[in-house]
Amino acid sequence: MNAIEVYDLQKSFEGFALNDVSFSVPQGTVMGFVGENGAGKSTTIKCILNLLKKEHGEILLFGKDLVEHELSIKNDIGVVFDDLHVPETLNATQLDKFMKKVFKTWDSGYYFERLAQFKIPVSKKVKELSRGMRMKLSIALAMSHHPKLLILDEPTSGLDPIIRDEILDLFLTFMQDETHSILFSSHITSDLEKIADYITFIHNGEILFSESKDVLIYEYGIFKGDHEEVSVIPEHAIIRKRNGTFGTEALVLKNEVNEVFSLEKPSIEDIMLFYVKGSV
Amino acid sequence: MAGLILKDLMTIQRQLKTQAFVLIFFLFISIFMQQGLMLFTIIIFIVTFQTITALTYDEQSSWDKYANTLPISKGDIVLSKYILSILLMLFGLILALPIVFIIHRFTNNWASAAFFPTFILLVTLAFCMLALLLPIYIKFGSIKGRMVLIALCFIPGFLFGLLKEYFPDMTVILSNIKPYMFVAPFAGLLILWLSSLISTAIYQQKEF
Repeated sequence: MNAIEVYDLQKSFEGFALNDVSFSVPQGTVMGFVGENGAGKSTTIKCILNLLKKEHGEILLFGKDLVEHELSIKNDIGVVFDDLHVPETLNATQLDKFMKKVFKTWDSGYYFERLAQFKIPVSKKVKELSRGMRMKLSIALAMSHHPKLLILDEPTSGLDPIIRDEILDLFLTFMQDETHSILFSSHITSDLEKIADYITFIHNGEILFSESKDVLIYEYGIFKGDHEEVSVIPEHAIIRKRNGTFGTEALVLKNEVNEVFSLEKPSIEDIMLFYVKGSV
Repeated sequence: MAGLILKDLMTIQRQLKTQAFVLIFFLFISIFMQQGLMLFTIIIFIVTFQTITALTYDEQSSWDKYANTLPISKGDIVLSKYILSILLMLFGLILALPIVFIIHRFTNNWASAAFFPTFILLVTLAFCMLALLLPIYIKFGSIKGRMVLIALCFIPGFLFGLLKEYFPDMTVILSNIKPYMFVAPFAGLLILWLSSLISTAIYQQKEF
């Protein structure tokens, strides 16, 4: 079963459009959703959450249509944006009182445990909290009704590595339940390398690939050489290539290339750069 | 719904405390001027307009973007603001009435016969103001909404001033409808209810 299924999603604005976006997040997995700024990550996530109305396509969460079953679906999801969008005069204790009335499954004990773990002052107003604190509060709020799916839109952007590591650990703990899933949008690819099982890459409103992270990292390789050396590699093995100051680099399918070629293991960032800046 | 109202009350809690000082100031002025009516008007409008403050806080924090990820219907999000405004008005009335009566008792400046119609008129006026304000603020937000509101009040006011001679005398109209005045708050509530339907329709079209 898939936690999220998106088929042929279209949404257009002046100067930008999502064009037939399709991908799915299998239950029990973490999907990293990557792309440069303005590629369409947040627009896709907003369509998934019905914050933006789709123009075409189908979006299913837990196999159900989001618009038809909006409230029941939203009981089972937790959402984190790149900032905490609650009135700044509220504090963590007041937010607990509010959430208790919103979710039947709200777990105050778990919530205050997370606040203690993250050292978030319970009676300090949101406006008095640092950005890192606000993000940690946002994550505690998203997880304390025990959702089955977390939808995270750049939750770690602008945070220091220590805080990011703490947050990623919490997500890994969440994923210990195999019915749980995460859609994690980020342009910090190192975070996704730590926790993602799949990577979906969006560029200019189009999905370029949606693939298992292991396939990307272990089945792809980077060959570095001059133009003549690259021309020896069979064409069907080359996914993308690009010319640099010191020669040519090619992203290739490892199994299709002779072992005499020395290949480097690519990072997700390398693969992104090949897709965006390279040519076929 | 209860959660949303609770959240708004917690959000404007500090604002309400600040307004309490303003009210104390006006309390002294009204005692000094022997004007219970002035205090009554101020209390009703200050508490009622806290709903607009709650809307402004929501807008500043992009609350709607977050609220719409929670299992809360769009209808409830809108309706909660209307219920909040009615609750605040009731609170204002409960607060204002004894004070106004005390001022009246000691000053005898306010004819008892005039109290009921004035009271009804003010409550109805507050309902009508909210019925106009809330859809405008929900549609345009607090900054643009203010402009639209000024335009909406200024243009008819200007036209009324310009074409005054063609309109019948308002005091005559008011004295004619005086016997039916007791229905005015209900009419105000009806207008508020219609306004909530318009606001919900506006909100359902919004994207966040």
